[in-house]
Amino acid sequence: MITKNSKEKTPRRRRRRVNSKSTNIKHLIEILQRVQRENELLKQELLKSRQIPSGKIGFAFLIVGALSLVGSITASSSTLAFIGLGLSFWGALFLFTRPIKFVRGSLLDWTAVSSYTTIDRMLEDLNYKGKGVYVPPYPKDVYLPDYLKGLKEMIVFISATGTAEMPTIEEMARKEFLVKNPKGICISPPGYGLMSLFEKEMRTDFSHINLESLYDILPKIADLGLAGEVEAETENDFIHITIVDSIYKDLYSRERALKSIHLIGCPLVSAVACAIAKTTGKNVIIVKDKISPDLKKIEVWYQTIEG
Amino acid sequence: MQFPLSMSDISLWIAVTAIILLITSELISSYSESFGSFAIEKQRLRLVALLLGMAFMVTVLLRVVAPT
Repeated sequence: MITKNSKEKTPRRRRRRVNSKSTNIKHLIEILQRVQRENELLKQELLKSRQIPSGKIGFAFLIVGALSLVGSITASSSTLAFIGLGLSFWGALFLFTRPIKFVRGSLLDWTAVSSYTTIDRMLEDLNYKGKGVYVPPYPKDVYLPDYLKGLKEMIVFISATGTAEMPTIEEMARKEFLVKNPKGICISPPGYGLMSLFEKEMRTDFSHINLESLYDILPKIADLGLAGEVEAETENDFIHITIVDSIYKDLYSRERALKSIHLIGCPLVSAVACAIAKTTGKNVIIVKDKISPDLKKIEVWYQTIEG
Repeated sequence: MQFPLSMSDISLWIAVTAIILLITSELISSYSESFGSFAIEKQRLRLVALLLGMAFMVTVLLRVVAPT
């Protein structure tokens, strides 16, 4: 009896195994096809960005213009001279006003995805559930002993349990990734580089201005082409930032389902958090974010907390 | 073999080009640097427009100081 049962079960198990294998293979093929499609799209994007014709048009105008100027002198024709002047001038202008490097915004967004996926995997693996706390760096001109020099770098602390407790300055200065007391991780903010760029472009050290001045500066981020519009205001105890048409808006899409993006924000939101932390000299957390269904509008509420 | 344009011709050409560039740079000042697939350095365009405007003023001054 036992042997009959076991004989009956073995083909069933085999069939189940075969079924699960085939579903796994189907799933893998689907993933592979999706990745291939994404790869093709990226290639097309790259090709489009490479095919900016302003350089070729500029050279063509310059050559034709120069030829017609020479022709105007030999033929003593004022019409040819005007044509030559115009063409050579516009050719030179096309070359001169062409940006040194022009990168499509969607490429920036795609390069940022892997960092967030990695952070997601780490948080999931460690089972950490806390919010990201932006810890401001010490100003560059302040003297610090060697063992505290690590405090001149900005970090984001993500705690294991979500408690408000922060690690000691000695622990933060050691530049450790895993912090033991309280449990958590310390990472570099994804928007720290962008914040440094804002400081450079606006020729302002955020640690030397107040929050009101920062509110006036933040809308100018739109001039850098990172967003269509940026608004900053105080709302009760929170700092409310509205970003319209952000270049990183696709990071918030449901298909990607990134969790860390809501904890530490996209590079632009993170850069604003870094700027607020540096200006106020206080720790900053992203309390809440609200993204419109079409991803056009990103609203973020920040809160400053005493370190 | 002589360049067929006189000073007044060049002055007029510079004036027309400067006006076109100044109007363009004013109109695009509120836009971002990319228009569809075309990208432009706005500050440089403005610089060229202002330089051409100044060049026109120089030609006018030359004609006032030394009229032909």
